[in-house]
Amino acid sequence: MVNSGPSASIPEASVLYLLATIEETGLSILLRESGVAFFSSLTLHSLAMAFVVGVNLAMAFSLLGLIPSLLNKRFEPFFTLHWWAVGLIFISGVALLIAYPAKALTNPVFFLKFMALSAGLLITRRLQHSVSGQTADPEPPLSGQLSNRIPTALAMLVCWVVTIGAGRFLAYTHSVLLASRYF
Amino acid sequence: MEQALLAFSHGTGIFDFMHSPWGWPVAESLHFFGLSLLIGTVGVFDLRMLGLGSGIAYRHLHRLVPVGVLGYTINLVTGTMFLTSAPDQYLYNPAFQTKLGFMLLAGCNVFWFYTSCSTEVRTTSDSLPVSGRAKLIGTVSLLAWCAVIVCGRLITYYRPPYHWCFWC
Repeated sequence: MVNSGPSASIPEASVLYLLATIEETGLSILLRESGVAFFSSLTLHSLAMAFVVGVNLAMAFSLLGLIPSLLNKRFEPFFTLHWWAVGLIFISGVALLIAYPAKALTNPVFFLKFMALSAGLLITRRLQHSVSGQTADPEPPLSGQLSNRIPTALAMLVCWVVTIGAGRFLAYTHSVLLASRYF
Repeated sequence: MEQALLAFSHGTGIFDFMHSPWGWPVAESLHFFGLSLLIGTVGVFDLRMLGLGSGIAYRHLHRLVPVGVLGYTINLVTGTMFLTSAPDQYLYNPAFQTKLGFMLLAGCNVFWFYTSCSTEVRTTSDSLPVSGRAKLIGTVSLLAWCAVIVCGRLITYYRPPYHWCFWC
């Protein structure tokens, strides 16, 4: 696999000590060693991520003209569900992070995922803001109004592809799994 | 069966690619991307049939279905790559078998949709709800795909499954 082993990039002792302290908390041990807790966090993360990425891809395809009338005020309920799913991603993500803090926080790929996810969500928020601004009914589709809809759609696709890719590569590129092993 | 799958994998070069440093994570990334395409198209259409986003035209959302088919195809190809590269980890894995069962259910559900109420749904007015049968199909579809994701995550937990699977 792509993991280059523990010698690849071991962070400073103080950082490892902090991460090891988190690992040794009761919550971290529970999340790591309880099969149900870890599996639930992982599964909820996957389900919510699939929904969020899926809805964003649908919006991107709408901006590309595949279904011109998707992005309008009527899409608001999907935005609401989308943000609930984002909340679930955050909660399950924090749980996974507490279970294995060193695995993620010592890996640049984690920060790449975080940045791509944040950028993707910022674009979604901007699109939602544009939709909320519409008052007329029936509304003209947003996808027809945005002058920069193609670059926006492409930026969305890039953000979500990077988020998925970085998320999967996280499992294969870590150089430290448990910081407490170094003490 | 195992030997045949492995021979196919070796013969096509899949095995070498999957056992290269980047092979498995690249295939996993594509697999999740395909799944997201499915959820973002079929899942959104299912939710619309269940009443979410009233006013959005069913026929417009239905235009996303080919993208969902693309996602399904990506998943089929990458799934075959996983299966043929390590058949012993999948063939006897109850989570994988259950996942296939839910995929079959989702497939039958799609067949049911297109043979019973596809035209009716596409011609339903944007502001009106679809029939109870269409709502049932949407519910089954959503639950089946969620179960596919859950079983997909469970595959790792039951690997290797030789010691405990009750029916393999």
